[in-house]
Amino acid sequence: MPQNPSSLQAHSLVKRYRHLTAVNDLSFEVRPGVVTGFLGPNGAGKSTTLRMFLGLDRPTSGAATVGGLRLAEMPHPMRIVGAMLDARAVHPRRTAADHLAAVARAGAVPRSRVAQTLGLVGLDDSANRPAGDFSLGMKQRLGIATALIGDPGIVIFDEPLNGLDPEGIRWARSLMRGLAAEGRTVLFSSHLMGEMELTADHLVVIHHGRLLADQPLSAFIADHTTERVRARTPDRRGLITALDRAGLEAVPDTASPDRLDVAGVTTDHVGRIAAVAGIELSELSSVRESLEDVFLTMTSTQKKAA
Amino acid sequence: MDLLASEWIKIRSIRTTWILALGTVVVTAMVSLLGISGLMADWHAHLPADFDPTGSSFKGILVGQILIATLGAQTFTSEYASGQIITSLTIAPRRAVLMATKVAVTALVALATAVLAVACSFVVSQATLAAAGLPTADLGDASTIRAMLCAVGYLVLTAVLGVALGVITRSSSGALAVVVTVGLLVPALAPGLPGVVGDIAGTYWPTTAGQASYTTVDAGPLTALAGFAVMGVFTLWTTLAAQLTLRTRDA
Repeated sequence: MPQNPSSLQAHSLVKRYRHLTAVNDLSFEVRPGVVTGFLGPNGAGKSTTLRMFLGLDRPTSGAATVGGLRLAEMPHPMRIVGAMLDARAVHPRRTAADHLAAVARAGAVPRSRVAQTLGLVGLDDSANRPAGDFSLGMKQRLGIATALIGDPGIVIFDEPLNGLDPEGIRWARSLMRGLAAEGRTVLFSSHLMGEMELTADHLVVIHHGRLLADQPLSAFIADHTTERVRARTPDRRGLITALDRAGLEAVPDTASPDRLDVAGVTTDHVGRIAAVAGIELSELSSVRESLEDVFLTMTSTQKKAA
Repeated sequence: MDLLASEWIKIRSIRTTWILALGTVVVTAMVSLLGISGLMADWHAHLPADFDPTGSSFKGILVGQILIATLGAQTFTSEYASGQIITSLTIAPRRAVLMATKVAVTALVALATAVLAVACSFVVSQATLAAAGLPTADLGDASTIRAMLCAVGYLVLTAVLGVALGVITRSSSGALAVVVTVGLLVPALAPGLPGVVGDIAGTYWPTTAGQASYTTVDAGPLTALAGFAVMGVFTLWTTLAAQLTLRTRDA
């Protein structure tokens, strides 16, 4: 089967330590052109999986490949895949420019890329400062610069939004979306669903080293959340009766005496029923449970099952 | 070649490298000088039959070796401490090649350092001996030249040994502990061990054998070059062991 040269593939990937199975029979593919979010709670096996893609850790069984190849089989891997696993992973006494110069030289990348990449991440003014003096946010930017200096078709970022201020988060998001729009393969991990909703097109969700979901974000939302209509009325009992007559089951909100939820219906429909019954509505809206809730439910039920 | 240039940028762009290199030169010369000054009175009173003006000039290597080994070790340990090793291994996933490159760059820096350290140590020591009216080394003598070359070689081998220990221990303090044990403690204690164990350890222990290579008076059953070879083989094996460790262990 021909392999897409710019996709990441995990085939029945397993990583077992003495007392722990960190990654358990994981298979998925990360494709170019979209931002793929790699989601899982802390300790789910995300970093271990990313390390196996990069050849840092050896799988117990299965394979993690880049376009069907291992990194050691590529003459200049940094031109194929760029990664930032740990933003702090840079020698504290070396300047940002020297750090990038060493990286560029190793991949036979022209030295002009150093200044160019520093500009891209907005560190031009700090080029000659030791990386140890950088804030975590600046280290994130330097880490991203390290990943991008070889102009790779595939980028892997582990928790890239950690430690960034709101402006930095917005910057990193648009950077990742831009990289994907250029046709690159973008995989980034996070333990926060909220970060995924605004950035990812596609989700790979793991928990306890197992795959929970591998689908487009929109499909994930459709599959795992239900749209409900929320109504607020001074006459909750009356509205429940009216809805019941229309064959709809209302769920009273236990937290609020004048509120109820109805599933599988539109706001128009509920509004009409209330009008016909002559019931006053003070609020009528459509709500979805948050993806954060879905994710928490998903991972907590999974915990019980395990 | 690209990787070699990259590692060169890395080693030259941190000040620790140059502090340790300069430290090796200064400490080697100073300790040699102190050793000679301390014994000068005894030598005036009674010059030993096996007095070795060349070997006496290199006593400071005992301490200098610790610094140059640390210089070698930190090429890896500083990367393990900061996590930079992750980036290095992603960029250069062929680990044996990465290690060979670091060994080569370290050996190069160590060679320049060792030449300076040996030259300075020799010059100040000989000047002190001459000023005190004691016998000095004869630069026209082949054994003097051989001892100087072996002293340089010994320091370079120690730096390479440092790289290997840095890989195996992954920590500067761990590597330092091993270097001090192998380079100072065992050579100091081994001759005191009883009987044949003491004889063998006092002669064939790699650093002891290596240190005998830069004297001009035969001290034991090993010739100078054989002693240097023992140290060389030991360094080679340790380097191969380190390479195997690096290749098989998760980063």
